[in-house]
Amino acid sequence: MQVLMFLLKRFGWMIVTVWIVFTISFFLMRHIPGGPLNGERVLSEAVRARLEARYNLDAPLSEQYFTHLWNTMRLDFGPSFKLQDYTVNEVLAQGLPVSAALGILGMVFAISIGMTSGVISAVRRNSVYDYSFMLLATLGIAIPNFVLAAMLIVIFVFNLQMFPAAGWGDLNQIILPAFCLGAPFAGYIARLTRTGMLEVLGNDYIRTAYAKGLSPRTVVLKHGLRGALLPVVSYLGPAIAGILTGSLVLERIFVIPGMGSHFIEAAIQRDYTLAMGALLTYTVLLFVMNTMVDLAYSIIDPRVKLE
Amino acid sequence: MVRFLRKYFPICLLLLAGVSVIWAVNLGTLPPAEFVFNNGTEVKTIDPAKATGVPEGRVINALYEGLLRSVPDGDPDELGRTPTKPKAVAMADDYRVSNDGTVYTFHIRDNAKWSNGDPVTAVDFAWSWMRFLHPETASEYNYQLFYAVNASKFAFVDLQEGDPVEVEMKDRPVPGQMFPRGTVRHGRLVSLLQPHDDHQSAADDGHGHGGGGISGAAIFVVEFQQDGTVTTAAYTTQAVESEEIQALVNAYQGEYDLSELTSVEHVLFDFEHVGIKAISRNEFEVTLNSPTPYFPELVAFYPLHPVHRPSLEKYGDREFTKPGNLVGNGPFLLKERRIRDRLRLVKNDQYWNAENVHLESVDVLAIQSETTSLNMYLNGQLDWDTKPPNTLIPLLKQREDFVSTPFLACYFYRVNTSKPPLDNPLVRKALNMAIDKQSIVDNIVKGGQIPARSFVPPGMNGYESAYCGEYNVQEAKRLLAEAGYPNGQGLPTIEILYNTADSHRDIAEVIQQDWKKNLGVDVSLRNLEWGTFLDTLRVGDYMVSRSGWIGDYADPNTFLDMFVTDGPNNQTKWSSRAYDNDIERAKYESDPAKRMAIFKEAEQRLMDEQPIIPIYFYVSLNMVNTRVKGFSANLQDVHPLHLLSIDSRGAED
Amino acid sequence: MSISDPQKSELERLTAILREAHEVQGVSLWADAWKRLKRNKAAMLSLWTLCVIVLLAILTPALPLQSPIFQDVKNRELLPPALDSYSLGIGEYDLETDRLRAEARKLEVGSAEYVEIQEAIAARQQTHPIDLYWNNPGFITRGLIKLRLAVFGDYCIPSIFGTDKLGRDVLSRVFWGSRVSLACGFIATLVSLIIGVSYGAISGYLGGMVDNIMMRLVDVFYSIPFIFIVIFIMSFLSSPDIRLTLQEYNIDQIHVFFLLIGAIYWLTMARVVRGQVISLKNEQFIEAAKTIGATRMQIVFRHLVPNVMGIVIVYLTLTIPAVIRFEAFLSFLGMGVNAPDISWGLLVNEGVQVITILKTYWWMIAFSGMALALTLFALNFLGDGVRDALDPKLKNK
Repeated sequence: MQVLMFLLKRFGWMIVTVWIVFTISFFLMRHIPGGPLNGERVLSEAVRARLEARYNLDAPLSEQYFTHLWNTMRLDFGPSFKLQDYTVNEVLAQGLPVSAALGILGMVFAISIGMTSGVISAVRRNSVYDYSFMLLATLGIAIPNFVLAAMLIVIFVFNLQMFPAAGWGDLNQIILPAFCLGAPFAGYIARLTRTGMLEVLGNDYIRTAYAKGLSPRTVVLKHGLRGALLPVVSYLGPAIAGILTGSLVLERIFVIPGMGSHFIEAAIQRDYTLAMGALLTYTVLLFVMNTMVDLAYSIIDPRVKLE
Repeated sequence: MVRFLRKYFPICLLLLAGVSVIWAVNLGTLPPAEFVFNNGTEVKTIDPAKATGVPEGRVINALYEGLLRSVPDGDPDELGRTPTKPKAVAMADDYRVSNDGTVYTFHIRDNAKWSNGDPVTAVDFAWSWMRFLHPETASEYNYQLFYAVNASKFAFVDLQEGDPVEVEMKDRPVPGQMFPRGTVRHGRLVSLLQPHDDHQSAADDGHGHGGGGISGAAIFVVEFQQDGTVTTAAYTTQAVESEEIQALVNAYQGEYDLSELTSVEHVLFDFEHVGIKAISRNEFEVTLNSPTPYFPELVAFYPLHPVHRPSLEKYGDREFTKPGNLVGNGPFLLKERRIRDRLRLVKNDQYWNAENVHLESVDVLAIQSETTSLNMYLNGQLDWDTKPPNTLIPLLKQREDFVSTPFLACYFYRVNTSKPPLDNPLVRKALNMAIDKQSIVDNIVKGGQIPARSFVPPGMNGYESAYCGEYNVQEAKRLLAEAGYPNGQGLPTIEILYNTADSHRDIAEVIQQDWKKNLGVDVSLRNLEWGTFLDTLRVGDYMVSRSGWIGDYADPNTFLDMFVTDGPNNQTKWSSRAYDNDIERAKYESDPAKRMAIFKEAEQRLMDEQPIIPIYFYVSLNMVNTRVKGFSANLQDVHPLHLLSIDSRGAED
Repeated sequence: MSISDPQKSELERLTAILREAHEVQGVSLWADAWKRLKRNKAAMLSLWTLCVIVLLAILTPALPLQSPIFQDVKNRELLPPALDSYSLGIGEYDLETDRLRAEARKLEVGSAEYVEIQEAIAARQQTHPIDLYWNNPGFITRGLIKLRLAVFGDYCIPSIFGTDKLGRDVLSRVFWGSRVSLACGFIATLVSLIIGVSYGAISGYLGGMVDNIMMRLVDVFYSIPFIFIVIFIMSFLSSPDIRLTLQEYNIDQIHVFFLLIGAIYWLTMARVVRGQVISLKNEQFIEAAKTIGATRMQIVFRHLVPNVMGIVIVYLTLTIPAVIRFEAFLSFLGMGVNAPDISWGLLVNEGVQVITILKTYWWMIAFSGMALALTLFALNFLGDGVRDALDPKLKNK
């Protein structure tokens, strides 16, 4: 019941957020000079008028706003201007899984690498492992992912020829971008895990657990890891936001046909409908992810109450 | 529940991660295609009637086939370029031209088939061309067919009283979908009722579906003859209740019977009276306004490729292009399409010449980054790269897989002749002569481009280009002084506009330096992002602007008819009665040699007045894997996919 | 006199106590933190590195560097790092001007030749290479450049970082790029600081309904993908009409860009400050301020805000690198600074565009990438150190 109320409330706020984003970007877009109908060749006035009528661009702005808002509410973003064979919904339906796959893999990389190195660092505190892992973690946080991508391309694509240069549709092609996407977050997670574990391992009940004769492995994995999980889960919210934006760049470098590519192209080419669709999808995605993280947080920590 | 989740949270998380990784990894892997090339960008559409660009052309030419096909044919010229010619090696196996050069009769081959097995007939072409011209299609290229009798009347709804008209009722079987059309009645326009004051205003307000040539509110009184009886009816393309129409009704109530005014979709010039006709199943006849020697080239051009009517009517204007729905008549079929990733084409077994199509599958990629594209080519992921980056061209040039040749395209600067001091032809000529075009070609673009001394590129059949002078600083200075600006004194700053891409900035900067150094002219640069750039150019808010033009066909007309007075692509505000006359005269000249002479005269006018400054002629730059056979350097940089094959012996690169 | 004596001594005594208390407290918070920070070697090293980087960035115009924007496509395209000397040639230019002046002096004032030469001199001064090489620098920058010309003359550090595809010196570009990137980091962070602290403090102090609404709003903002909105706004700003309007008010596009980034990085700051303020607002010193009649705004900005500075500084050190990275990210996408302005993100982007299997122009990306990474790395380490130092509770974290 409580969960239901929480979700309902959040849903309400999501509607507000989406509406704000919609309104801001709608008026921003319509005031940018240059329109979606500009092409290499100049349209004759008649053709132009036709096309404007087709896309309802000739109506007064307020009318366009409400029509578009109503359609958006019905989840119909309309046809794409620059991908004329598709509706925006179809473009998003194709792009979203690609970005999602990249994001999920990036996240899995981040969590697995981050938590493993964090645990090792915590257990072997002040050892060479600890220092080098923490150094690497800071490095991962500091280096922007496109610099990392360029470096990895030179090493793994040009020199070692282990991966293809770019593209999508093959397991080989997903590893490099996913790794670059996950690297900064792996760094953060490693540090959070280490801190969380050190805090837990200093507690009395850990000593009790050791005293009971539990093996160090059990103690570390069962109790220590649980302590480290909290900060990591609470970090997932911002991490997801970061993954979303990070994939913009990586999709561009590695030529991945995901949402990010669609959005940037749409913004540059003034594809009003597609840009709007992608923007709102990102908003909803971010909101849903944040909500899920809050839910997960309340699940693993009984002290947290949903509000 | 929560308790359970709490206990097993880490395990749940792991499971979730595992499942999503498996899902992500399995996301639509495709088996590799036999031939992969980079098309440079995502195609805007694969509907022939709506497409406009070169990348679109490559795909559409593979999926569809017109009456004729432009193919490399004949012996290479002195630059190693194979000429391209429109030949009846496509849907038509033969065509005839009447003696006066105005009637073309195409014979469609008997084994021409759509990919679903339906025969391709003359009716398909007539219908497709009708759709292409139809105002509701709003095809950007529709002017390509305006050579046919009455075609522009049909497209622009340019109606006079007495014209034959077709009226489409508002009873379309699928609402909101253009085809199948509603009931069409054929009659004769008796009267066209319009408000008196704005009779002449040009632009359509966009609300009416009929307007275009006809602006604003209009009532069409149409007369029908059936079995000897004559009936008349009044139509409007707007809502009958609308204020404007009611005002019209009140104004004309006394003269005409408007009590049964009906709202309809369209009142158009009757297509049956347009010079495009299916005479029989195989005979397709086109009647032109004037002899147009390059008409075969237009017929081979992809906007005029036919579309399959049943599938279009079934799936609608957009859905019919989807893989699975698309029925084509070209050498390839659309198997799969991933937006901004690739189009997968496979061989079409129903193609009339399928036995000579060698590639089984082709991937068309949409990579925009030139560097990435080249990397993928060098990495073996691509077989054909269409645009290697300028920086690396000197290195690439030495390789045997670098295929490059000048083709029919010109890089030039538009000069806005309405802005002083550029309204003075002497100034424009001086600016032209002060540019070291050779240096631009050698140091910036580097691909072996040809410095341009004319606007029409060399290589047009039987055409010798005009001439606008060499790089000559002394002469340029003299011209500028003659114009009243000795040593550039008193000349305001000239602004060069360019779009943010490629080497435009570099070229602009070299020219800036040339003008400053040679003429003492101050130059500022202004770069705009593509969309804004086009807008600025269109409204004429510029002084000098970077431009480029690729010839649609191998005839000077494709370059020269741009600059007629108020031509939509003129954009320089330049206007010359003599020039307009020349272009018009060339249309009706049937003697090729005389025609070319007229064009040369016109181009010379253009070069003397210099509303444009030609910089260089493009070269095609292709990286093609040596295992690919059948790839020829040609004049229009067209490389039909069905002519290519893979030599597996040369596979190890 | 005698009457006032006890009062005076009492006053002195109280003042002394106050001063002592003041000193003791002042010393214990900040000096203690500084002491702790000094013990952290990594953080100190980072601090010094950053100081050097910032100093170099500020002094860039005065360093003997080549022009960051002057192109020489013909002769210097994509040269690998080398030690060949390079001269600016401004000396020759000035010599030539001087020669003309000398010639003019010989001529009769007012003669046609004299006027011609004077005009030529004026023209030469108007199109001086300084404007060409440094894109019409502002007043301070011009002064530094003149200083550099006075000290080093035409001498330039050779292109030890190589040249780019338009023949420009990469070393010089990296230095000039640092100015934009660092300025962006600091200005944008300052903006976020002002917005975030005010917002958080007001929300926390007022509490109740206002707090609720303000924090809900922050929640809403959290879910807005700002990067996308910034991309919109940037392409909006780059349109000519808008640019002209901005120019009329003498605003550079890049300044708006800084503000924009700052304006989206205040959310977390606001939350943190609010939390601190809520826990502080029932403390006695606030009560005391209330009793002496301080207004709400005074309480918030004079009493509460200084007390949350510790946590704010910690957060600040984390925001600066985030902002620098964000700027780089936008410039990389072609949505950030525009030529002829240079930033590290832009340089890295140029570098990425020329790495190919055929030939790797590694110097195009290596140095700018390294500069960016080094700065961010140092900022991160320093941030960790400051956090440990200021908040002992967080130690070990």
